[in-house]
This record gives sequence, C-alpha cells and structure tokens, in this order.
Amino acid sequence: MTYLFQIFNGIGIGMLYFLLAVGLSVIFGLLQFVNFAHGAFYLLGAYFTYDLVERGYSFWVAMPLAAIMVMALAALTEIVLLRRIYKLPHTFHILVTVGLALIIQEMTIIVWGPLGGNVPPPEGLNGVIIVGDFIYPEYRLFVIAFTAVLAVGLWWVLEGTRIGAIVRAGSESSENTALLGYNTLRINSAVFGLGAGLAGLAGALAAPIRGVEPFMGLEALGIAFVVVVIGGMGSYTGALLAGILVGVTQSVMASLWPEGARLMIYLGMALVIVAMPRGLLGRA
Amino acid sequence: MKTINNPIFHFFLAALTVVCLPLFLRSGVLASEILIFGLAVAACNLLLGFTGLLSFGQGIFFGVGSYVAGILLTRYQIPVPLMLLLSVVLGALIAVAVGWLSIRRQGVYFVMLTLAFSQFFFFLAYSFSGLTGGDNGILDVPRPVIAGFDFTNLWSYYWFVAVIFLAVFALMLRTTQSTFGRTLSAIRENEARASAVGFPVRAFKIAAFAISGAVTALAGALHAMLIGVAPLSSIEYHTSEIILIMTIIGGSGNLFASLLGAGTYMLLADVLSTIWPRWLLLLGVALIVVALFMQRGLWGLIETLVSHITATSKRTPNAATERPLHRQADGGKA
Repeated sequence: MTYLFQIFNGIGIGMLYFLLAVGLSVIFGLLQFVNFAHGAFYLLGAYFTYDLVERGYSFWVAMPLAAIMVMALAALTEIVLLRRIYKLPHTFHILVTVGLALIIQEMTIIVWGPLGGNVPPPEGLNGVIIVGDFIYPEYRLFVIAFTAVLAVGLWWVLEGTRIGAIVRAGSESSENTALLGYNTLRINSAVFGLGAGLAGLAGALAAPIRGVEPFMGLEALGIAFVVVVIGGMGSYTGALLAGILVGVTQSVMASLWPEGARLMIYLGMALVIVAMPRGLLGRA
Repeated sequence: MKTINNPIFHFFLAALTVVCLPLFLRSGVLASEILIFGLAVAACNLLLGFTGLLSFGQGIFFGVGSYVAGILLTRYQIPVPLMLLLSVVLGALIAVAVGWLSIRRQGVYFVMLTLAFSQFFFFLAYSFSGLTGGDNGILDVPRPVIAGFDFTNLWSYYWFVAVIFLAVFALMLRTTQSTFGRTLSAIRENEARASAVGFPVRAFKIAAFAISGAVTALAGALHAMLIGVAPLSSIEYHTSEIILIMTIIGGSGNLFASLLGAGTYMLLADVLSTIWPRWLLLLGVALIVVALFMQRGLWGLIETLVSHITATSKRTPNAATERPLHRQADGGKA
C-alpha cells in the first residue's frame, strides 16, 4: 500500500517532468537550439504563482496567469535576443541561455529573497481522498488528471491541427515553410514562447507540491535533460514514458533511500545510455 | 601574427604571469586560485578548443581531485606527491568512463549528457556522506610539507602551485603541438574525414577526456589544499559552469588564453562579489555580450588589436601579405 502511494506520487511528479521535457523538445525540434534557460522559466512560473497567491489571488487565477506571463516573457526574449544567435555554433546558444538563466535566477533572488517560500494547496483541493486504507492528497490527483488532459490536447495540437503541421514543417525546413508564405520568424517566437510556457506551467503546478526556492530551476534543467536523453529527443511518447519512469523511480527510491533518490535517476540514465544510446523511443 | 601564435611565446607569457601575480596581488589565495583554475580551464580547453567537445562535466573531475586530497590527507596521512599522483590517475579513470558514455551521442546531446553526469556525481558525493562529508565537506585539509620544505604559508604554497602549474602547462603545450594534438584538431575540424582517413576517432576523444580529467583533478586537489577544505561545492554544477565560462571568455584557440580567461574571471569575481552579492547577474549579461560581440574571447580581441597595430604601423606591402595569414588563423575557429 505504501508503494501505491509512492507510485501515484511518482506519476504526478513524472507528468511535470514530461511537461518540462516536451517544452525543451518542441523548442529543439523547431529551432535546433538547446535552451539552458529552460529551468529558469520553470523557476519563474513557480515564483509568479507564489507571488500572485501571496497577493491574495486564487490559485486558479495565479496558475494559468503565471504560465501566460512566462510565455509572453519568453517570446519577448526570443524576439529581442535569441533570434540573433540561431546562426552561431551551438557553443554560443549554450553561452547565451546559460547567461539568461543566471540573470533570471539572480533577479529572482533580488525580488523575492534567497529563502523561498510555500504555496498552499488551492481551495477545494486541499483535502485528501480516502479509498479503503489508501489516503491521497486531492491536489496531487488533480495534477495527474490535469497534465494528462493537457498532454492529449498538446499532442492533438502538434499532430492533428494545421498549426502543428506548420510547426513540424518549419522544423523540417524553415526555408521551404517561409516560401509557402508562412511567417517563420513569428512561428519561431510563438514556439519558443510555447515551450518555455510549458516549463512555466510545470513550475506553477509544482509550487504547491514542493514550494519555491531560487535553485529549483537548475534541478529542473538537469531532470529535463535526463528525461529527454532517456526518452529520445523529439519523441512525444518517449518524453511521457521517460517522465513517468523518472518520477516513479525518484518517488519510490525516496522512501527506500532518501539521500540517494536523485542519484538513482542519473544512474538510470547512464544505464539507458549504455544499453540504448538513442534513448528508449528516439528516432535519430 | 606569427609570434603571438607561437607556443613558446605562450609558455613565456604564462611564466611571466606566474612571476607577476605576486607583485600585483595582495591575496595569496587569489593568486594561487588563478593558477589552479588556469590548469582546470586549460584542460577544458583541450576538449572544447582542440577536440571540439563542449563538456559540462569538468566539475566532476575537479571535485574528485578535491575529495582525493581531502580523504587521503586527513584520514590516511598519505604523502602529498603520492596523493597528487593518485588524484591524477583517478581523475583520468573517471574521465574515461564519463567520456566513453558521453561520446555515444554527438552535438547537443553530448552536452546534455555531460551535464547530467555532473549531476550524477554531485548526488553521488551527496549520498555517500560517510566518505565525502556530505554538505559539510572534508575539513582541515593540510598544506604540504615536502622534504623539509614547508608550504603551509600562503605565499610559499603559491610557489608550490606555480611550479606544478608551469610543468603541466608546458606538458599540455607539447601535447597540443604533437601528432596527437594535431589529430584532435583534425577531429574538431571534420570528424567524418578524420574517421575516413583511418583515425580511431572515439579512442582519440576518450584519450582527450583522460588528459583533461587528469589535469582537472590535479587542479581540484591543489585547490582543496589551498582553501583547507574539500567542499561539496567543488563537484557541483556551478564548478563545471564557471570552468566552461572561463574557457569561453578566454578564447578557445590556445592554452594561454585559458589562463587569461581564468585570471580575468577570478579577478572580476573577487572585485564584484565584494561590491554586490548578486554579481552573477552581471556575469549573465557578460556571457550574452561575449556571445554576441566577442566570439573568439579575450584572446581573439588581443589578436585583432595586434593585427590592427601591425597593419597601421607598417603601411608597407608586407601588411598586405600579413592579412590573409591572420584570416587563416581565424578561419578555423569561426
């Protein structure tokens, strides 16, 4: 029974990891660009939620608003800065986004202080569900359900709609897509905003579970990389599978060997790399 | 332009730096740190500048060296030269393992893997706190006394570090000039072609990792003795990050540029961090500026300046032949 609790927890955390990894993957797919500031956008999502809730807004307003704010900020960054560096070698993509991550992290400390804080579970979901002798917090169930709906919606947008087709066309050949009359500059900004917005949303959803602190961004970045490496970059189901796998591993190990829980994630990644260098479901 | 790209000239510059640091700096810690990070950055540069591998995992080897010093000196009283040798060997072995796994993927995947491995080793050190002291690290790491020479004083320790620095720097310069080093550059320039010519590309990359890991671990061990602690932060992501940042700021074309990058970063960090605790914000801005306007780093800036000066000072037909040479030197790293 205790394991069931841990496994449910793991699925919840894993779905958040999935959101992070898909955001990273979508950006990479279209822009061929690894966003080392991805964790920083997750951090911002969490802190915006924290700030809005502190100001007395309901979590149900704060959470989507925080994600939208991160999305807008990311799109703006893309327009002002990032589109100038796509042509450079990837060393400089990394340098710029690492710089961006440092700026965001330090700004967070300047604005909200170095200590972090807690976000209470939202009203209506602050209780527990009891089935037999299984007790589970309602908010965590909500996270699982909400991200599952979101995952399906996102998959439908990317695979089943015209917008998704344009984005995929752009990642195959930016030039040909532009020749068909689509404004690829605008698509790039929108996709970067969407990817970073997903990280922001993951941060907003994570805030009531794990609280906020200035260095949560870095942790998230490391995890997002692991999920992408295990699942295979560019694979939607791979990210889902790997996200849940990582979440469950972390959660179950946390009850068996608390200090080593995160160690096991990275160990798992090393094993996958040895056995399947392309990841579980990676294509190329 | 020929002189400033000559390795003997680079060694001369490094030796000059070693002699000049005590004249200009009041803090023996800062001066020693510049040389120690100079080594770590040169080792990172061997991967980035010479082999074309951007490693986010250099902190692993630095931390390993630091823990070897901490554990062997405080718990087993092993003589310092033997300890340094062991740190070099262990650094190389771990680098071979990390390199072997990471080069299974290329480009950005490779970078992500090195970062993930740096997290792996951080949590390894954090989880086995019996061995590493966990959050507290290993305290009271002594400075060496070898054959009657006492290096416990800060400035005498500086000279201990300086001798090791110059010896290793010279060795690394020779390595980059050797056939081995040239082959690494060939791999950086065109991996497919190097492989087609018959070079075992993977073995060369792993060898580059081994050298890089060995030198970085040596730097880590020297650093632990300098500050008297083998802290958890030595193996943290942040250490990998600053080593990489110093490498790119200095410029990745040659090894002296690495000392330049380490020195500039350490001096700026020393000044700025006392003025403003949130100075990393400025570092972030600086990284973006470097990427946009100074892609060949400080050394590239110096090269450009020198070529301007030589071009304006002698407006002779010579200047015309000088130009294309310079371009060639640039072409490789653009």
